[in-house]
Amino acid sequence: MWSKSAEGKESPQAPQVTAPDPISPKQTPLGGFAAPAVAAIPTTPQAPGAASTISGGLRIHGEITGNADLCIDGEAQGSIRMAQSKVTVGRQGTVQADIEAREIVIEGTVHGNLKASESIRLGTGSKVQGSLMTPRVAIEDGARLRGKVETTRVGELKRSAAAGQAKSAEAAPTTSVTATKE
Amino acid sequence: MNWMAKPRFGGTATATAMPVAKPGHAAGAAASAANIRVSNGLKEFMWLISDVRNGRILDLGQVSQATLTFFIEKGYRVSTEDFLRSWKEFLSGEEERMRSAPVGEGTEKISQAILADKFLESSLQYPEESFHGVLAWDLFDYFDSELMPRVMQRLYSLLHPAGSVLALFHSRPAERFHRYRVADAQTIELLPAPTLAVHARVFRNREILDLFGKFRSSKTFVGRDQLREGLFLK
Repeated sequence: MWSKSAEGKESPQAPQVTAPDPISPKQTPLGGFAAPAVAAIPTTPQAPGAASTISGGLRIHGEITGNADLCIDGEAQGSIRMAQSKVTVGRQGTVQADIEAREIVIEGTVHGNLKASESIRLGTGSKVQGSLMTPRVAIEDGARLRGKVETTRVGELKRSAAAGQAKSAEAAPTTSVTATKE
Repeated sequence: MNWMAKPRFGGTATATAMPVAKPGHAAGAAASAANIRVSNGLKEFMWLISDVRNGRILDLGQVSQATLTFFIEKGYRVSTEDFLRSWKEFLSGEEERMRSAPVGEGTEKISQAILADKFLESSLQYPEESFHGVLAWDLFDYFDSELMPRVMQRLYSLLHPAGSVLALFHSRPAERFHRYRVADAQTIELLPAPTLAVHARVFRNREILDLFGKFRSSKTFVGRDQLREGLFLK
């Protein structure tokens, strides 16, 4: 595994992505020129278990929604609504937003209300200022919480989240995300 | 057992604190067993709030899974605010602000009274009569003389009529800093913790009763471990 011969070899399962040459546009069979790709944005749904990450040094302002699991090690402000997903705020993560998710794990700092349809866990070293609403809550020694804890019945929040999602699907989506890399 | 109707008394009840062996702490060496105390104060606190449906509890100590679970399973809603830590952080912040301010700008000495008022502008911010019970633990031992009456006033206003406060007072300077959690309806666990603040005072019984003078009724219990429990009814 650590031998030199293995280094640099690509994994057989790794998707092979060939970036188009942005400088010399290729000629199409019809004689036209294909526009160079600027950025590859994956449009296929994420594999189950895969999590999107807001990594350290990245700052997001706005509303974050979606179905993928999310890890936040950077900064996020606004609101996070991911009713079917797991949201994790890492040790370096700082969030100033209400978080609504299936499962919420906090290791970093959060100013905002947490609402989870399954569970909320506050890890050692986490700092939360806001209310917790969930059927199950786990608080490790050393966690800091300033706010109220309200337990709900399992499924109660799921139903209200589903109703909320249906309502928001009817309305035109107004998503504004500003990302700045420090 | 209707002590609500009883007049306030100044004497102390019999010694009640003692180490107990709990099944959940079987591995419990003697050291850990010594940190578990039977609490008549908690027992009566639970009795006082037992009639309240969907009652709300304010825990002013460090958040604890055991305490939360205990109250939530009984149907209460719990709010928690690590009050002493917030106070210490506030003081550190103010000190830092003054240190970094240019000379002559906001560096005039601020009195403890102003600091206490400023701190309470952002702490214990709940609507009046929000809570049926407050777990104050041993916080009052660590407050200065300016903060203490202000906190007391605020707690009084936050309590529902007939709400109660459970507070602990060391009868001699605490040897080390502890945090507290509820183990069961009459047992409190004392967990050694890094020192957050220096023990500021030892209350005499009369001082405790004066501090809680606005309350309708007071009751204190002294344990063998020199920890006095006070239960105060609005």
